[in-house]
Amino acid sequence: MTAKSSMVEKSFAQAMVDALAFTLRSEPNSIVIGRGLTGHGSEMNAEQSLHDEFGDRIIDPPTSESLVVAVGTGAATAGFKVFVHLGTASFAFEAVNQIVNEAANVHYMSGGQLTAPVVFQMYHGIRGGGGPQHSHSPQAMYANCAGLHVLLPSSPADVQGLLRTAMKANNPAILMNHSRLLPMRGPVPEDDFEIPFGTADIKRAGRDVTVVATSHMVNEALKAAEALAADGIDIEVVDPRTAVPLDRERICASVRKTGRLVVADEANLTCSIASEIAASVAELAFDALKAPILRVARPDVPIPYSPPLEKYLTPNAEKIAAAVKAVMGKSARS
Amino acid sequence: MDEVAAAPWDRQGGEIDTDTRVTLFERMLLMRRFEEEVIAVAAAHKYIGRNHLYIGHEATGAAVLAALRPGDVAHTTHRNHGHLIARGADPGKALAEIMGRENGYNRGRGGTWHICSREVGFLSTSAMVGGSVGLAVGAGLAAQRARRRTISVALFGDGALDEGIGYEGLNFASVFNLPVLFMCENNAKTGQRPSSMLAAQSLLDVPRALRIESVLVNGVDVEAVYKTATWAVERIRRTGAPVFIEAKLERWPGSHQLKPELTTGRTNLRMGFDLSRITGEHADWIGQQDPVLRHLRILAEAKVLTEADALAIDRRVDEQMKKARAYAEASPFPNPESAPMGVFA
Repeated sequence: MTAKSSMVEKSFAQAMVDALAFTLRSEPNSIVIGRGLTGHGSEMNAEQSLHDEFGDRIIDPPTSESLVVAVGTGAATAGFKVFVHLGTASFAFEAVNQIVNEAANVHYMSGGQLTAPVVFQMYHGIRGGGGPQHSHSPQAMYANCAGLHVLLPSSPADVQGLLRTAMKANNPAILMNHSRLLPMRGPVPEDDFEIPFGTADIKRAGRDVTVVATSHMVNEALKAAEALAADGIDIEVVDPRTAVPLDRERICASVRKTGRLVVADEANLTCSIASEIAASVAELAFDALKAPILRVARPDVPIPYSPPLEKYLTPNAEKIAAAVKAVMGKSARS
Repeated sequence: MDEVAAAPWDRQGGEIDTDTRVTLFERMLLMRRFEEEVIAVAAAHKYIGRNHLYIGHEATGAAVLAALRPGDVAHTTHRNHGHLIARGADPGKALAEIMGRENGYNRGRGGTWHICSREVGFLSTSAMVGGSVGLAVGAGLAAQRARRRTISVALFGDGALDEGIGYEGLNFASVFNLPVLFMCENNAKTGQRPSSMLAAQSLLDVPRALRIESVLVNGVDVEAVYKTATWAVERIRRTGAPVFIEAKLERWPGSHQLKPELTTGRTNLRMGFDLSRITGEHADWIGQQDPVLRHLRILAEAKVLTEADALAIDRRVDEQMKKARAYAEASPFPNPESAPMGVFA
């Protein structure tokens, strides 16, 4: 991110739209496929400026997720830069074959002859009343498919910079946005900028415990940090920003400083992004750990509709704070 | 609508008896009052569920589900409330589910998009577009292989044919000759963004290309739908082969992406007897496209129901809905600690 550029305050939704506008303006062979890019809630009108400026380069497709992914991949392989919006991540399961078997394999399977520069955007997460078919956080599933970059922005600046990088790149990427982030506001550089993949961001420096959090959990971790600070516990919040590639170096450097690790991610606990981060630290920085690693994730349960049930299963600041206290208490070797 | 499918029934010379005509009216009215109650509940409790209401579709649901026999199974969608009530589900348990309560049909786990009642023959309620089509074909296969003489119904909207699963389901049912009724409620709205995009001139061109017997019916005319559905169900049972019905209807003006609004007001049955009462911005929909009032007007003109009869039915339905609301309100929320339980059978 260039430090010289002056900053403007905008929403996460607007930042995503602006990244697309920069791309569409500078790259004549770029298109957007999808309807309701910025959701159906408070930010739904943010996408309008794209329709106004770029007209039929914003394509409103039928309700055909599988085909839309195939078309996006096909157009990308034929020389376009493509942004495909899939709506709720739960709907994108309709298109998993096209994402995993086709898009992710284009480059390697062709022996490097072909590329598929296409971004698949979807809204993940427990959003309130979504129930079992509208609440998935499948980031770990995509991280588990070789050939896809997986982007998990947690702020307006991060989504704009990461999406810009993705639209300039030559690889397929999953842009996994938490639906609760859309109205979030924050400072973003005014000029066009990029954030390289695989660069973790220290969202808060701290001494006692490293909390690696992804997507919306970053903001929950920052909330937890304030509550913990009142108890005299100083946590460092590390945001990897991309799950693939994963900045293991910066994560381990933080753990070497604090000696304790909590990982917060909204995917189901088993084989989650949190699992991968915990395993990486156990492999690379085991000697630095003063306590066992704890993961805060979604239990392996479909998300129920009823509000008290949903709340019980949702990872949040309180659960992160409790895990931080547990790794402090369990500290046997310090 | 020049292709209306009353023809097959008319060739059989059938007429609908008076009791059935009145029963259909009462069922449609219950479906309507249920959705009006859902709007009231949403306002009172400010819960977050996004309801897809069945207002405007009552004729189709009431008629098709009344044409089934015990043992027949149905598969519905996010717009399921009317289907459940039409098949005789308990409005109290359905409302409790929408309110996320332990005594709801799904014990609060499913909510408005997934209300499912095994006891009245629903085998799935999926919010995935086209989801009901594939699952209903599976139940059709089970019925065929078990030599049950039951049929399987897929209820879905026009958007389901945008999805690959819609085509794949139709094709499989035709190839394997399965006893499935494909019941498409087409509320695509021209002018606004339509709910489906099909290059075919008519939606029915798709099942017809796959050699499925396919008919079009006016989805706001409950008697036409009932005749068509009865004919289709009988044909499926006799031949074992699938039938596709497209019911065309006009989308209710209160239908919004996030939160429905009762823009057409609480249904006033007196409008069935006095057209001059129909006024305002949505007079066209209420006067032409409201299936409940349309059927009432026909029954009134045929002297089957007087205004007093209709109002007596309304009071009975109101009483039923009051009980349903009380049952749902009295039901507790599930114990939060039970959330992780029941993932596996």
